Amino acid sequence: MAEVTYLEALRQGIWEEMERDDEVFVLGEDVGKYGGAFKVTEGFQGHFGEERVIDTPISEAAIVGAAAGAAHMGMRPVVEMQFMDFIACAYDILTNYVATARYRAGLSTPIVVRGPSGGYVRGGPFHSQNPEAGFLHTPGLKLVCPATVRDAKGLIKAAIRDDDPVIYFEHKYLYRRIKEDLPQDEEIVTPLGKARVANEGADLTIVTWSAMVWKALEAAERIEQEDGATVEVLDLRTLLPMDDEAIVTSVRKTNKVLIAHEDTRTGGVAGEITARINEKAFEWLDGPIMRVTAHDTPVPYAPTLEDYVLPQTDDVLKSARWLLAY
Amino acid sequence: MARVEVVMPQMGESIAEGTVSRWLKSVGDEVKRDEPILEISTDKVDAEIPSPAEGILAEIRVPEGETVEVQTVIAVLETDKAAPVSAASPPSPPAAEAPPAPPEPAAAPEPVAAAVAPAPPQPAAPKSDGAVQTAEERLRQRSTPLVRKIAAEHHVDIGQVPGTGHAGRVTKKDILAFIESGAPAAAAGPARPAATHPVASAGEIVHPTVGAWEGDRVEPMSKIRKLTADHMIMSRRTSAHVTSFYEIDFTTIAAIRQAKKQEFQDRGAKLTYMAFIVKAVADNLQKHPVVNASVSGDTIIYRKSINIGMAVALDWGLIVPVIRNADELSMLGIAKSIADMADRARSKRLNPDEVQKGTFTITNPGVFGSYIGTPIINQPQVGILGVGAIEKRPKILTLDDGQDVIAIRTMSMFSLSYDHRIVDGADGDRFMADLKRDLESFPEGAL
Amino acid sequence: MWYCLALTRSLEERLVNLYRQGKVIGGLYRSLGQEGESVASAYALQRGDVLSPLIRNLGSMLVMGAQPVEILRQYMAKAQSPTAGREMNLHFNDFDLGYLGQVSPLGDMIPVMAGICLSFKSRGESRVGLVYIGDGGASTGTFHEGVNFAAVLRLPLVVIVEHNGYAYSTPTSCQTATDRLADKAKAYGIPGVTVDGNDVLAVYEITKEAVDRARAGGGTTLIEVVTYRRKGHAEHDDQRYQPREEIAEWAETNDPIDRYTDRLLQQSWVSRDELDAVQERVGRELDQATAECEDDSLPEGDTARSHVYASPPECERLWFRGLDG
Repeated sequence: MAEVTYLEALRQGIWEEMERDDEVFVLGEDVGKYGGAFKVTEGFQGHFGEERVIDTPISEAAIVGAAAGAAHMGMRPVVEMQFMDFIACAYDILTNYVATARYRAGLSTPIVVRGPSGGYVRGGPFHSQNPEAGFLHTPGLKLVCPATVRDAKGLIKAAIRDDDPVIYFEHKYLYRRIKEDLPQDEEIVTPLGKARVANEGADLTIVTWSAMVWKALEAAERIEQEDGATVEVLDLRTLLPMDDEAIVTSVRKTNKVLIAHEDTRTGGVAGEITARINEKAFEWLDGPIMRVTAHDTPVPYAPTLEDYVLPQTDDVLKSARWLLAY
Repeated sequence: MARVEVVMPQMGESIAEGTVSRWLKSVGDEVKRDEPILEISTDKVDAEIPSPAEGILAEIRVPEGETVEVQTVIAVLETDKAAPVSAASPPSPPAAEAPPAPPEPAAAPEPVAAAVAPAPPQPAAPKSDGAVQTAEERLRQRSTPLVRKIAAEHHVDIGQVPGTGHAGRVTKKDILAFIESGAPAAAAGPARPAATHPVASAGEIVHPTVGAWEGDRVEPMSKIRKLTADHMIMSRRTSAHVTSFYEIDFTTIAAIRQAKKQEFQDRGAKLTYMAFIVKAVADNLQKHPVVNASVSGDTIIYRKSINIGMAVALDWGLIVPVIRNADELSMLGIAKSIADMADRARSKRLNPDEVQKGTFTITNPGVFGSYIGTPIINQPQVGILGVGAIEKRPKILTLDDGQDVIAIRTMSMFSLSYDHRIVDGADGDRFMADLKRDLESFPEGAL
Repeated sequence: MWYCLALTRSLEERLVNLYRQGKVIGGLYRSLGQEGESVASAYALQRGDVLSPLIRNLGSMLVMGAQPVEILRQYMAKAQSPTAGREMNLHFNDFDLGYLGQVSPLGDMIPVMAGICLSFKSRGESRVGLVYIGDGGASTGTFHEGVNFAAVLRLPLVVIVEHNGYAYSTPTSCQTATDRLADKAKAYGIPGVTVDGNDVLAVYEITKEAVDRARAGGGTTLIEVVTYRRKGHAEHDDQRYQPREEIAEWAETNDPIDRYTDRLLQQSWVSRDELDAVQERVGRELDQATAECEDDSLPEGDTARSHVYASPPECERLWFRGLDG
């Protein structure tokens, strides 16, 4: 066992897949010699060579498009977006081309587009976004949002092996802040589409993912200690495909649901989850489904403003308590 | 100085509100403990409310004619007689009649929670006196999908469950604890077909609307009418009704009755056919416990007591006083009870507990001459006996020598409506066959 | 011009101190070694013209009239900053002075500046636009679409491509296969010219020529200014990919301010004392600006909800913020 960070787990996952399968290669801005803006691919170019760790121009559309083409030919590209905010620059090629390729033309496009998303780092409007909702509405894409060190590794490996295009939203706040003992002799592959019960509870379910899982766990712990109630924290892990069964199972158990995500509220993923619960578990609800999300603004720069706009642990705690008392 | 509150009592677990009919004392009057201070009227009973303490009536908060929820403080007593009665102000003149109940909510889903959510810390809004129901009121009565589902499964009236959630909402925990405590069966108000499920019925039963024609008279249902309407529909929806018919030969009983009439009258009781029927039914309920039972969720409650409800038709509706532990009473006791209950039902002097906890009901359409009827079960019981007209009819009898003759006999038709969820046809028929046998060969010595 | 050069460099140095004191929030991006082209190119504009800087074009904004105290407040996310703490560093605008702040997705400002120039042209105003892009940013789709658009519509736009050797860690050789970024102009059918970016007078002259041509209806010009980024992408970048000798050589032999200073002194246009006095003035002004805003408060959290729309300006305050403990 070795204690590794979320970032190191991710690095190991990609590394192992590149060792396992020669078709796996990495491309993106500053990923080669520099090892990536956050050092996810540090040491890769030296080990795997410039052919498999490719520094590209600042051309997100071209990077994703080229990855798609290589994938059609049987390669398995892992694309890095320096910040997930810039995935918007490749929105056309991802939604119009990549997502539809199998349906339209029977083309397999096994690419992974990964990169850091999320705020709480004083990154301002262009280095703090959580753009997952922008892709949730596009059939053909899979969306992965790891919250733990183990999942950072297990899910990236599963994503690379998956035959469909996967957008892999890492959280930059977690990169170096969370650590976990990972067995180094065991292969960790976490299947896509399966949620994880991060904390078992009986009185309320918090459905969440990515960095918000930790805020939910903190809130759950405090409620357990101070209120005597237990909160189930369901880490969705992947948003597409969404693990409806896990959500419904938990709702049937606790009958109250709080959905917590870092992205803005309107049109956010919580709305979709709410609708699914209504469709599949309405009769089990003992309270309204409530959301804790960011306010509907861009992510501002000033710490006071960012803290205001983004959902905090205290917000999760208070909302959970409100629902528990409902 | 000490002040004691007088509250609107809960006259029966399922009763949600009561009306102040008359104040017997005025502000400033001295009252003794247990001295009646006002009269109230609920759905089924009128009652005098005795003072909870000795003192001076300091404050009257609810004027005559006004209807309030149970547990509402209606008056305040000052137990220290020396204290000035300053807060006293006479109530406003009585309203002509109790304000109409708010219209029942439609079954269509409404964003109740959403309306409540944005302002969670606010206390519940005061109950509006008009037709508009606030989100809090809806929340209190309708709760959530899960609680409604549990309530329906267990025949629980949500309005009777103490709520600990927002705006007094009944939470999952509240209703489960309530069921766990065994309260729902009692709260369902056994012996009272019409008035025992006010809130549950209100929340769930919507009567279709019908257009009125020119010249028609349209008036709102009285409370008792509305409750009866709801309860009847609820019962039809809840139980799998089956009705069996048995012809009973009362010739033997008629003879006994004739012989003993005077004796009973001398002892202060009127010996009616109904007394015989109650006696025989009580005996047979003991032998057939499945007919003296209730269905609760996936369980069956076999009642220990045999409490027989007697439907009494009144000018203003239907009431079912209950003869408690009828199996323990003598014929004289039964006869006296029947007369007493019917009498007091007509004069609205029944105590609340005299219309509760019935386990089986007898209704007697025959008094009006009906040959027989098909009664609707009084929830949450599982059986109701209908008694048709008792009169002389021709009957074919086979004599000992095998010869058939037509004889003049005192006959009646009985019907038993039972809940096929737990009472099978064979169960119902065995009960009726035994009842028939016991009535037809009623031992004179039993008197 | 020397004042602006000195101010640019000193202001950045002041920001480094504040950054290390934890007062500058987020990242800090330096233009050390390439201040000359920013200042000189902006000098070629007139009042009424509009430029759009990148993160390393602080000098161009100061030329247009941006105040150091505004820059300090922006970096420190103060409530009184031009964007009231919503945006960072140089991302702010003042159309009266003539600058439009950038966004982080590179290349986006080129079509936007093309549109600004479109308004000049269609209104018959003799105003000109100037937009900066880097060697890395020139690889984006929006760069291509924007320059092509401006070229086709013959818009009065000057595009300055700063060739400073690195886009973050990526050397220019990994961005483009052309030897000279100015060669790209040929494909758009517009004039393209390369200039020594650390020769402030040359940059001024070349830019002035392009600006005059644009103002005269001659359309778009692409200017490649060759310079060198002596600091990392940002203060948190260790520059491991840049040879130390390379950095040292540019610092010693090709610093734009040194070269201009030498020229001024050689030509006896100014004296050393005069320059020292200017430098002293710069220091004084920065002390004043720092003192003015250093202890300013950060914006109130709730103000984050404003400015989302013109009407109504505020987004909804979410329900859970009204809850008690």
